[in-house]
Amino acid sequence: MRAASTIALRELRSMFLSPLAWTLLAVLFAITAYMFMAAVFNYQVKLVQFQSFGEVPKLSLTDWTIAPMLGNAAVLLLLIMPMLTMRLFAEEKRRGTWAAIASSPLSPLEIILGKYLGLLLFLAITVALLAVPVGLLFLFGTPDLGQTLSGLGGLFLLAAAFGAVGLAASSATDNPMVAALVAFGVLLLLWIASWVGEAGGNGISVVLSYLSLTSHYQNFLTGVVNSTDLVYFLLLAAVGLLFARQRLMAERING
Amino acid sequence: MPETMIEISELTRNYGPTKALDAIGFQVQRGEVMGFLGPNGAGKTTAMRILAGILAPTEGSVHVAGLDMIANPVAARAKIGFLPETPPIYDEMTVREYLTYLAALRRVPRARIRLAVDHTMDRCGLKATADRLLRNLSKGYRQRAGIAQAIIHSPEVVILDEPTVGLDPIQIREIRQLIRDLGGEHSVLLSTHILPEVRMTCNRVAVINQGRIVANDTLEGLEQKASGIGSFFMRWNHPPDLDILQQIPGIARIKAREGGWTITPAPGSDPIPELVHRSATQGWDLRELVPAGESLEEIFLHLTTREEGADTVAAYASEEVSS
Repeated sequence: MRAASTIALRELRSMFLSPLAWTLLAVLFAITAYMFMAAVFNYQVKLVQFQSFGEVPKLSLTDWTIAPMLGNAAVLLLLIMPMLTMRLFAEEKRRGTWAAIASSPLSPLEIILGKYLGLLLFLAITVALLAVPVGLLFLFGTPDLGQTLSGLGGLFLLAAAFGAVGLAASSATDNPMVAALVAFGVLLLLWIASWVGEAGGNGISVVLSYLSLTSHYQNFLTGVVNSTDLVYFLLLAAVGLLFARQRLMAERING
Repeated sequence: MPETMIEISELTRNYGPTKALDAIGFQVQRGEVMGFLGPNGAGKTTAMRILAGILAPTEGSVHVAGLDMIANPVAARAKIGFLPETPPIYDEMTVREYLTYLAALRRVPRARIRLAVDHTMDRCGLKATADRLLRNLSKGYRQRAGIAQAIIHSPEVVILDEPTVGLDPIQIREIRQLIRDLGGEHSVLLSTHILPEVRMTCNRVAVINQGRIVANDTLEGLEQKASGIGSFFMRWNHPPDLDILQQIPGIARIKAREGGWTITPAPGSDPIPELVHRSATQGWDLRELVPAGESLEEIFLHLTTREEGADTVAAYASEEVSS
């Protein structure tokens, strides 16, 4: 584990030494903050409408502000994560530093866990940053704390799964753009997997809706944490990491 | 008692239908500096990548310090240090950070990392640049950092793939001195196609051509075996046509060089009397006749073109002249 944490810390450091991480965080933060602001204003308008019907208690602050913001942040992460993960292996290969790692006494799994751990640390920072505007809302209102935490946790899990898919794509090609495109394609397909399911209604639709990222994430946003959704995200991450491990081992054989 | 630090046998590596390595085998003893020679594309880099545990062979075995690189790659890799053709440098790190990072990856005990980094920087002449970013260092210093990462964990075996390419003459001299110093403590396998470098740094030489080992000997041994080659250099005021020279019996190869010709006699024959005789009688006006200096180069050429056969030698010679 020592080697993995060494790799993780270097990954995190190198992300922040390049403008990439800062830019991604700035873009993500600016857009989500703007969306959050829009949601809060929208809530105020709705509040006036509901007041006229005398049904204010039914208007959940969390549902109308925090949940949509986290939902939008997820879509943004869908676009951003492939750009963050595309360089995980490709850049090492392009710069030739891969030889120093591949000739070190490390198993493929240690290398992958190191890279992934570094990514998770970055994601933790990202989610913490997005929690700041959400936290501000607690100063002015009484959002549901449990639902908020569940939403933020869900966002972290979702992004972690995105990251594992991106890492797998990056391990499969030396070309960062190809890695980004493949990761984006796979994630988008998983995101919209339930579309067919909604129209169908047979056995396939059950499978497709289980595969869909959206439905699992939605549960977290409504404050429902259940093991099915947890297992789904962990499984997706595990599949990504194992695929990458397989790729690294095959690479040694295929050259 | 000499210990075998690198033991390769029957090593084959295929890339699809292409055989990059064809059942090669050699050994390197403790403390030896082995030169690994061969023309470009002969399979040097493939062999070194296999030895470094980055690539798996199609067939054959690799043992490093007694550990099986194929069955037990993680443990065996701890015994090697590898400098690839391009030094594996992280631009955004300082020399000290870089070596500290790689020391940790090479499983140097945490308490000893600092000492190992200081010691290695000292050895590689990196002390003065310890806290500078690798991005800002010259090519020579980046190369030193590359060598430093290969020896940071004091591996039994150091593998260097063309360590002096692209350096200036002063840097080359310093790196060669460093490599010489590495021998004795580590076993070194050094690939190069700069032949004087081999003379300056290596105890033994393995020559690879088209994926096969065509020679494996000490330098003296190689030169002794090749003493029949005895190339010489001739220059005339009125040089004859190449055709005429080629018709003189006993000449294996003719190569244009600095206004004259380097002539390699066929094994066991001596064309010099005939050449001198004709120079005098046919008015070529002989200016210079000296033994050709770079005998190692000739050995190398001899070894790596031997399989082409006698018929193609003349064609090879004329090809060189026209180019």
